[in-house]
Amino acid sequence: MSEAVYPQSEVFHTEDMTISVGPQHPSTHGVLRFVVRTDGEVIGEAIPDVGYLHRSIEKIGEKCTYHGYVPYTDRADYLAAMFANQGFCMAAEKLAATEVTRRGEFCRVIACELNRIASHLISVGTFGQDIGAITPFLHALRERETINDLMEEICGARLTYNYIRIGGVGYDITQETCDKILTFLDHFDPIVDEYNRLLSYNKIYIERLANVAVITKEEAFQYNLVGPNLRASGIKWDIRRDIPYSVYPELDFEVPVGHGEKGTLGDCYDRYWVRMQELQESSKIVRQCLKMMPKGPAISKVPRKFKPPAGEVYVRVEAPRGDMGYYVVSDGSEYPYRVRIRTGSFTAMGIIDKLSRGIMVADLIALIASLDVDAPEIDR
Amino acid sequence: MNGFGGYIKNIVETVSTIFEGLAITLSHLVRRPMTIQYPDRIPKPVQETLPLRYRGILEVDLDICTGCLACERVCPISCITIGIDMNKETKQRTFGHFDIDICKCMYCGLCAEACPTGSIRHSQEFEGASYSPAGLVRHFVTRPVALYKPKKGGETDPTMVEKVKIGQEYLDEFATPEGGAGAGEG
Repeated sequence: MSEAVYPQSEVFHTEDMTISVGPQHPSTHGVLRFVVRTDGEVIGEAIPDVGYLHRSIEKIGEKCTYHGYVPYTDRADYLAAMFANQGFCMAAEKLAATEVTRRGEFCRVIACELNRIASHLISVGTFGQDIGAITPFLHALRERETINDLMEEICGARLTYNYIRIGGVGYDITQETCDKILTFLDHFDPIVDEYNRLLSYNKIYIERLANVAVITKEEAFQYNLVGPNLRASGIKWDIRRDIPYSVYPELDFEVPVGHGEKGTLGDCYDRYWVRMQELQESSKIVRQCLKMMPKGPAISKVPRKFKPPAGEVYVRVEAPRGDMGYYVVSDGSEYPYRVRIRTGSFTAMGIIDKLSRGIMVADLIALIASLDVDAPEIDR
Repeated sequence: MNGFGGYIKNIVETVSTIFEGLAITLSHLVRRPMTIQYPDRIPKPVQETLPLRYRGILEVDLDICTGCLACERVCPISCITIGIDMNKETKQRTFGHFDIDICKCMYCGLCAEACPTGSIRHSQEFEGASYSPAGLVRHFVTRPVALYKPKKGGETDPTMVEKVKIGQEYLDEFATPEGGAGAGEG
């Protein structure tokens, strides 16, 4: 590459530089490393080097009972622990044909969508921070703090919830907490407009993101992107709508897709904008659930010694980082025979090398931030 | 967008959006701050403002512990170890040791749910700094304690009534109206 740009001479010669972005780089959101070969500011290739945060969660699953494994799934993606809980519990319920109570389903959806708002707030906040705007990050964390306080009241923990259990949810959401959630949403909806004025419509921010690292529809399919990254490329695919689970079919919500808002379809700005719209959609879903929530038990009767019959299942849930799949094999004993977790962040790593060729080093940071990868979810 | 007009328009847009952002930042001067001055200058300790469901460091009330070992069995990382001694002459069973390794504990709350009397429960305490990992192992048996036997028709001993009530209140906070994990033994 360097030979093509600069002519070789006897005295001066150019050579590519190999630098390491991470594992302790603030924009990699966790311990994640990129081996970047650059020609000055232009990137030749960027190879993701994953595995720094591997905790062998899948192997631990073979040593734990089904009830005991639920708190471990929290750690698969600590920014959106509720979805990891739900995925595993749905797999276990499908294996044993356990029914979930109706109130339990609504409690699940409320907790999950609040968690999605918290996760997307971190995503758009750190996006601004990576680009160089620190204030929006603090504003986003302010609202997330309130959600954490609500979560504390719902389930007792701020980050690793262990709330969704096999057969329903651990504890019921009280009427008092429901009122608090509603108060928060009334406060939150105008705040989204404030974020937009602060960050989304900022000309410098748009210039940094529009037309950068464009993912076309075909590429998004070929590289198996999921979630907001896929929708930003203009493909309307959402597990909640297309392979419905829980009570999502009864709820009325839109699936935001990218339209090339400020530039090309599937650029960094589209990926950011889809997340901003999903914040409002999640708020809408929670409002509906609070209205529709019936009375009744929050969890159905599940034996303490949970022994599903032999078999294998694959279930998928729509997590903030896309399609999260759980493949669980049971051999009829108290312990799962095999647990496999499929996450959206890991597949998003594949496309980074392709997109990074020919862009600037500063744009690589924008690309990583726009894919919203999360180190614990990549390695598990 | 081209030519001189486009150039000017770009500059105007950039400057106006920057000032819009600055206006929002400025408006925070008059808003109530979200942050608190921890640990000083707060009206009451944070521990007292936390909800009852908060899962802090585990505590055990040995006086109402039946020694059923349900918590030890349900713990996914085995951070609870219980030893029960049997006096051969009097046939009375007492606790040898009841240790919880706070270092290992992942605050999942499964043990507190399994407890039949609400003896093991999460407190609102979260400050657990220690100079060594050994300092984080909580030993609850400091004097010989006999196993608690729940009496039929409610507790009558006045010293125990209060303790049983606290345990029951803790259990009720998490109780689901009907059903619940472990409702049907199998």
